[in-house]
Amino acid sequence: MSKKVEVKVGLFVVITSVLIIASVLYLAYSKGFFTREYIYTLSSKSGEDLTEGMPVLFSGYKIGRVETLELNDQGILLIKIRIPEQHSKWIRSDSTFSLYKPLIGSSRLIIATENLNSPALSPKTIPEIVMVNDINESIKKVQPTLAKLDKVVTNIERITANLADPQGNVNKILSHSEKLTGNLAKKDTLIEMATGTPESAQSVNESLKKIRDLLAKTDDQVYGNDGALPLVRKILKDIIVKLEKINTALDNVVKISADASDSTKDLKLLRTEIDTTVNSIDKLVSDINKILPSKKEPEIKLP
Amino acid sequence: MSGKKDIRMIDIIERIGKTSINATRSFRDTLSFAFTIILKMFSKNSYSSATRMVLINQIYFTSVQILPLFIGISIILGSLLIGIVFQIIKTLGLAEYLGRILMGLVVTELSPFVTVLLIALRSSSAINAEIAVMKVNKELNTLDKFNIDVIDYLFLPRVINGVISVVLLSALFSILTLTSGLLFSKLMFGMSLDTYSNVLLNSANFYDIVISLVKCCTFGFFITLIPIRFGLHATNDLTSIPIAVLNGMVDVFIAIVLIEVLSLILSFI
Repeated sequence: MSKKVEVKVGLFVVITSVLIIASVLYLAYSKGFFTREYIYTLSSKSGEDLTEGMPVLFSGYKIGRVETLELNDQGILLIKIRIPEQHSKWIRSDSTFSLYKPLIGSSRLIIATENLNSPALSPKTIPEIVMVNDINESIKKVQPTLAKLDKVVTNIERITANLADPQGNVNKILSHSEKLTGNLAKKDTLIEMATGTPESAQSVNESLKKIRDLLAKTDDQVYGNDGALPLVRKILKDIIVKLEKINTALDNVVKISADASDSTKDLKLLRTEIDTTVNSIDKLVSDINKILPSKKEPEIKLP
Repeated sequence: MSGKKDIRMIDIIERIGKTSINATRSFRDTLSFAFTIILKMFSKNSYSSATRMVLINQIYFTSVQILPLFIGISIILGSLLIGIVFQIIKTLGLAEYLGRILMGLVVTELSPFVTVLLIALRSSSAINAEIAVMKVNKELNTLDKFNIDVIDYLFLPRVINGVISVVLLSALFSILTLTSGLLFSKLMFGMSLDTYSNVLLNSANFYDIVISLVKCCTFGFFITLIPIRFGLHATNDLTSIPIAVLNGMVDVFIAIVLIEVLSLILSFI
């Protein structure tokens, strides 16, 4: 009995202990207990919404957590964040650190790096955290809309006040409309209502008839067979024919002027040739004069 | 009339005072006894082959014998509770906090509490009755006459057994319950094994585990120490045995509640 009991107790203790140790070790491994970690220090003027253990995110992925929060001698809050070695490559010298406070849910520290090739952030450097507040952002976005809404409400209030006021514009328009429709109901036509008396309406009708007759006559004089417009059309056709003829004449003039231009060129050549001929004759005359002197021999006076 | 009233008032006040003094004395005696046991626990001379034999037997009776029942209870109760919790989480749309709720509820609160209740009901009452009977039968005096240290031989193995059993069984309860939770997470949320384990791992906290461990050790220590102390209160009459067991078990219950409250306060600090 004793041996059996010992074995059973031994098995129980060993198995449960192994299970516990394995679970704790697995948890420690998953939590990065055995990996090297870097600690970076950030600063903030306010510790509001910052808590120890808060997640540190890069591209929405948790890469670390806030280790401690403490005040320095100048009253500035120093935030130490713990980043495992495999994630420290995302933190560069140009990284920005912002505290994001969503409308709903807990705050988180977000790291953004524009250039991953820039040098790594030195653990001695203390960058400042930028506060991003969803509530304030939302209020800012809503404010213009609220202002517009306020205007709309004021206008609606004005309209309703006008409607409620018996001496208001709307009520005046309505009473005038009532009067107008009442008058319209009493009169036979709109012209009668506008003029006031049936005689005036008849006079307007007669005038309109006269205008219509006058227009018919004018139409005949302008557009009729012997009207002004057909005659104008005939004249225009004639002018077009004549213009075509003038166009041909002008072409001829152009051609003649071109010919004249060519002739002047020939004249210049002729003149050159004449000049050459005259010069040749002049030379010839000189030569002849040399050969056949036309003057008497000059008298030679002896000493 | 006025004189009688005054006498009654004085009686009531006297009774309150007596109860308070008794409670304080009992608390002080328990702490003193606990201190003695702790000292013995860390003394090398306390451990002999007889002590080890008693310890093994105690672990066998407290943990190994109860194991099939305990595993059954862990799976059934744990699964039911996990199912209810999952249903509430789903209804309230708190799936994001699934891991935190599971780790906080199961590992820190539920496992130690269920384990300690089970062991207190089964073993603490047995230890209390056993010591009281030994006291009535003067077995303790006999052991003393044979120069056998009753603390080393009787009390220490029982207290150590309490600590070991509560810690191991509580851990087993946590592991079994969280494993059965996988089935519910698959059925209710369509979670895979990887996602479920990630959710649990992300929410797991070493601080919670340490608190749970300390709590289990404290539970195990006091649910065996108090019955021993109350068993020693038995007189030579057989009728004193049930009184000793009754008082001992009430104090065990008070101790469980006090430790639970203290651990909750600690976890919120």
